[in-house]
Amino acid sequence: MIFLLPAMLVLFLTTIYPMLYAGYLSFRSYDLAKPFVPRVFVGWSNYQQVLTSGDFLNALSITFQLMVITLSIQLVVGVGLALLVTQRLPGMGIARTLLLIPMMISPVIVGLVWLFLYFPELGYLNYFLSFVGLDPIPWITSPNWALWAIAIADIWQWTPFIMMGTAAALTSLSPEPYEAARIDGNTRWQVFRHVTLPQLKPVLVSLVFLRAIDAFKIYDIIFVLTKGGPGDSTEVLSLYIYRQSFTFWQMGVGAAASFVSLIIIVVLITLFFKSLNRDQTA
Amino acid sequence: MNKPSMQQAILVYALLGIALIVFLTPIYLIASSSVKPSPIMFQRPPAMLFEPTFEHYRDLFTMRPFGKFIMNSLMVALGSTAFSVFFGSIAAYAISRIKHKRMNDIAFWILSMRMFPPIAVVVPYYIIFKTAGLLDTPLALIIVYSTANIPLTVWLMKGFFDEVPRALEEAAAVDGHGLISIFWRVTLPLAAPGLAVSAVFCFIFSWNEFLFALMLTGSEAQTATVAVMSFWSSDAVQWGRIMAGSFVILIPGVVFVLTCQRWLVRGLTMGSVK
Repeated sequence: MIFLLPAMLVLFLTTIYPMLYAGYLSFRSYDLAKPFVPRVFVGWSNYQQVLTSGDFLNALSITFQLMVITLSIQLVVGVGLALLVTQRLPGMGIARTLLLIPMMISPVIVGLVWLFLYFPELGYLNYFLSFVGLDPIPWITSPNWALWAIAIADIWQWTPFIMMGTAAALTSLSPEPYEAARIDGNTRWQVFRHVTLPQLKPVLVSLVFLRAIDAFKIYDIIFVLTKGGPGDSTEVLSLYIYRQSFTFWQMGVGAAASFVSLIIIVVLITLFFKSLNRDQTA
Repeated sequence: MNKPSMQQAILVYALLGIALIVFLTPIYLIASSSVKPSPIMFQRPPAMLFEPTFEHYRDLFTMRPFGKFIMNSLMVALGSTAFSVFFGSIAAYAISRIKHKRMNDIAFWILSMRMFPPIAVVVPYYIIFKTAGLLDTPLALIIVYSTANIPLTVWLMKGFFDEVPRALEEAAAVDGHGLISIFWRVTLPLAAPGLAVSAVFCFIFSWNEFLFALMLTGSEAQTATVAVMSFWSSDAVQWGRIMAGSFVILIPGVVFVLTCQRWLVRGLTMGSVK
């Protein structure tokens, strides 16, 4: 139908075309710092360079580490908060709304305010932590802590997302199984584990996939907090691609790395859609 | 679920109190630091009561062309919103009305366009816009943001169109209205809340975006998010100015959460949770 065509055309021109262009670049030697050198066809050599380089594998591993750390904490804390804000008590609506604020803040601003908190010597976070007897932590200056510093900022911003989705699902659950379970004399934990959790599972799966896809794109917070450092301890895939393309001007290598990450994200997206379709048919 | 007992209520409030402190302190810090005089910015213990100063805001707009960067952000966000809501809603209408087994695939294809990592296409965009002479123009960002905003609008509006009763459209068709007339006069007005929600989401995502704005703009079309980040490197860490700029940037998002939180679930989960 004619209604569909304009949007498809726009999307084709603005996303598929650049992706095809990235595909084309990934087989060329393209050094932006040498604009007059012809962009020769180099076969798979960019891919070979990417896939055999320790830097790329390191970036891939850090991306997944960060994904696992942030997702697992967001899931546990988010579901916990959802259980709290769905209690039938006064004030829960306001608490729920206030807790959603971090999500709609620009990630750059999130990065900047956490930088303010982590800042060596001056930052307030270590000052607050000294009240519970903790020694100052070198948040962004130590390779051992930098990834955690980023994870905390991301967890702060996106735990509300899990809470919001879970709370929405909790309020739409049917009450009957609960009454049955309670009559059977189960403890609260048993009811949660065997009645609530199985019903929440489809929603939680969707939420986790959406977060996982986003976790793959993380850039702004890291750019502000550590720029991938110290060393390469927080260099995720996006920063690796950025560095290859805009620091070393190796556009071909950057494009090849982009394509490899596209393949991984396509797998994640396909799994997400499969899980959505299963819910709809079930 | 049963009403919690007194002890349980106290526990719930205590835990939520802690959560609120954790999640709201950074926002309070942005607001308070933006009006805190520089000499006491890092005072220990933190100065809670002080004479607020507006010097950081004044500096922002006088020593820096922050007003211009805000206007750039507004122009880009409004442009992309208008573009995306127009193309997205007509496409959503088609997807909602045509019953065909491939339709689902097309809908998912459109959605997947939103999920690709921006960094993967930033290099080609850079080269394409450089060739077209569009680097450092608002138009470049409007085009790029629309690639993320059109899929979002399509998915949100599809949900709203699905809820408009078909019988109303059929009645209008009997009255002799054509397809476009039905869409414009019957369906679209009924899905108006969806248009508003889509528009606000498109606006905020464009307003908040950083990566593309950083790569594709220079001094002319720079947006507010990039400008705030540049204070970091250029002025030997002007925290007051950074926080004042941050506060200005976070206003639209916070207002949105406080006024339309019931639409957030739908928008942020692409309709997969309602």
